[in-house]
Amino acid sequence: MKFIPRKPREGINVSDVHPLAEAGALVAGLSIIFTVVAVALFYAVELALLSISVETEVQLFENWAPDDLLSVSADDERKTQAQEILRRLVAHWGDAPYQFRLEIVESDVPNAMAYPGGLIVVTTELLDGVASENELAFVLGHELGHFRNRDHLRMLGRVAVIGLVFVAATGTDGGAALGVRIADIAQRSFSRGQESAADEFGLQVVNAEYGHVDHSWNFFDRLNDGDLRSSKFIAYLSTHPSAADRSDRLKVLAHDQGWPLSGPTIQLNWINISSPADP
Amino acid sequence: MIEILLNFGLPILIMLIAFFVGSRIEKRHFEDIQNREEALHGFPAVSFEKLPADWKVGSVDLVSGSVVISLDYFKRIIAGLRGLIGGRIKTYEPLLERARREALLRMTESAKSQGFDAVVNVRLETSRLANSARNGKGTAGIEILAFGTALSLS
Repeated sequence: MKFIPRKPREGINVSDVHPLAEAGALVAGLSIIFTVVAVALFYAVELALLSISVETEVQLFENWAPDDLLSVSADDERKTQAQEILRRLVAHWGDAPYQFRLEIVESDVPNAMAYPGGLIVVTTELLDGVASENELAFVLGHELGHFRNRDHLRMLGRVAVIGLVFVAATGTDGGAALGVRIADIAQRSFSRGQESAADEFGLQVVNAEYGHVDHSWNFFDRLNDGDLRSSKFIAYLSTHPSAADRSDRLKVLAHDQGWPLSGPTIQLNWINISSPADP
Repeated sequence: MIEILLNFGLPILIMLIAFFVGSRIEKRHFEDIQNREEALHGFPAVSFEKLPADWKVGSVDLVSGSVVISLDYFKRIIAGLRGLIGGRIKTYEPLLERARREALLRMTESAKSQGFDAVVNVRLETSRLANSARNGKGTAGIEILAFGTALSLS
């Protein structure tokens, strides 16, 4: 037997593909797959959620509230009054299928949210930021509009789907919380139509209750003009239509519908009380 | 915004650094391997178990060479993505190729420095070194062990 020395041959065990090309192909391909899956899920979940009847929804979520809902004390003056305003507004929505509940959450971002089962959550910053009952009534009316169009279910589905895709893509729990927050902002940015429809219903309810729509958009004007201009303003904008556009559209709508643009406004009792009334 | 940057920007930055540093190290390692293979050219390291009848063996001993090589972050992430859809993990191939050849080289160099003339019955073993990540399921690196019987021919 004869030993013939040979040098090892290159390129047998190592693929001749540049690592960056491999990375690019993988990232691009997987992004396309994820997007297609996400969009499909999006519509599937929306269809599924909207096929749930209002009665079933109310039954399912009757006493449900988000886990992180830190509500203020039950005898908070603001809560009692806001609930009363809400009750009067709901009276103008013929046969509203929901038993509306209102909770106040401690937060330094002015915001209001609609949750399944007829739960409306408003932040303390919003309650302290509104200057009259009429301003608050419009915000509540807007949330009622979301319930009427069942946007709260759509939002829930979208946020869940985008959050899920995020977790799958990053593979970490850490990505999940961030994913849900980005999802929340992202889905609202392409739900402009829903926001407008909710505004329209809100304004209609306010007009029915007060006989005019004065002060409905003053809160947004102030957000825009500077009283409240700060990082809070940015935070509010990220989840709602631009305040300036919104207030303009509302004025046009009120004018078209022939709703009176001015009238007596009602002061809120808790205005000028720096801290919630202590017993 | 800062969160998005930390969650996505930082890993991408680390990946790029890992890619450039890792590629450089890999390139230099391959060059080194090729030079040493050149130097050992003609020294038999073969896998047969039975000696040819005409070989007159003087002394024998066990020789071995092992190497532990770690993945870089770039390879790890790309392999993770590959793991979602399957297929050849091309970024791992050069890693294992380097490790195999390095282990064989160390074994052969050890035999040559001890005055042997050949290594027969060469075998390769692979083991994975676990690290504490993902409850011990993470991979810190791989070890490749090459061993065989060194002979001096009389």
